[in-house]
Amino acid sequence: MRNYEVMFIVNPNILEEEIDKINSQVEGIVTAGGGTVDKIEKMGKRKLAYAVEKFREGSYVLFTIVADGPIVKEIERRLRVMEPVIKYITVRMNEEMRRLDKIKAHRAKRAARRSSAHASSAPAEQSAEEF
Amino acid sequence: MIRAPKEKPVAIQKQYYRRKKVCKFCVERIDAINYKDVKLLSQFVPERAKIMPRRISGVCNPHQRLLADAINKARNIALLPFAAE
Repeated sequence: MRNYEVMFIVNPNILEEEIDKINSQVEGIVTAGGGTVDKIEKMGKRKLAYAVEKFREGSYVLFTIVADGPIVKEIERRLRVMEPVIKYITVRMNEEMRRLDKIKAHRAKRAARRSSAHASSAPAEQSAEEF
Repeated sequence: MIRAPKEKPVAIQKQYYRRKKVCKFCVERIDAINYKDVKLLSQFVPERAKIMPRRISGVCNPHQRLLADAINKARNIALLPFAAE
């Protein structure tokens, strides 16, 4: 199981309920395949940086999911078929998350070491240094 | 014909002091360069919408690679332009 972010752009002229319908469909695919949906974020209307299918703006939706390759494949297939969806992207996040956790752990370790060394001498200086 | 002896060029002194460039991501401890963070990314795409080279922005190599990756993802989902219009 891997962490993915699926972001897609929907035609700006369709109704809110239609977007909800698409969202529930995508959610259905994920849960049917044994994955979980962490978050659904409707980012609202945004101006597009370039014209996509003659649209100058679009409604962005972001899914944060934990899923497998086949699930993602199915989602992408479905998004491609859906009429109102004009663009989508899937980004794998787990490697990035691992990298960030590593940095965080490293920092915490260093901060701990530093605070134990300087604990008595200069607590004020240490907090300044940390940032 | 007598030629004036060629003068050796005097070592040109630096006329101004160039500030050393530093990597924004290292200095501000920005770990995650996310493709959704348009505000951050757009600082590194000048008017022409190309990715700013390292020699100008001063970003270090590891961060430049992450940055370029994020910018390309953002371009793919129309958050950033491929080219200026």
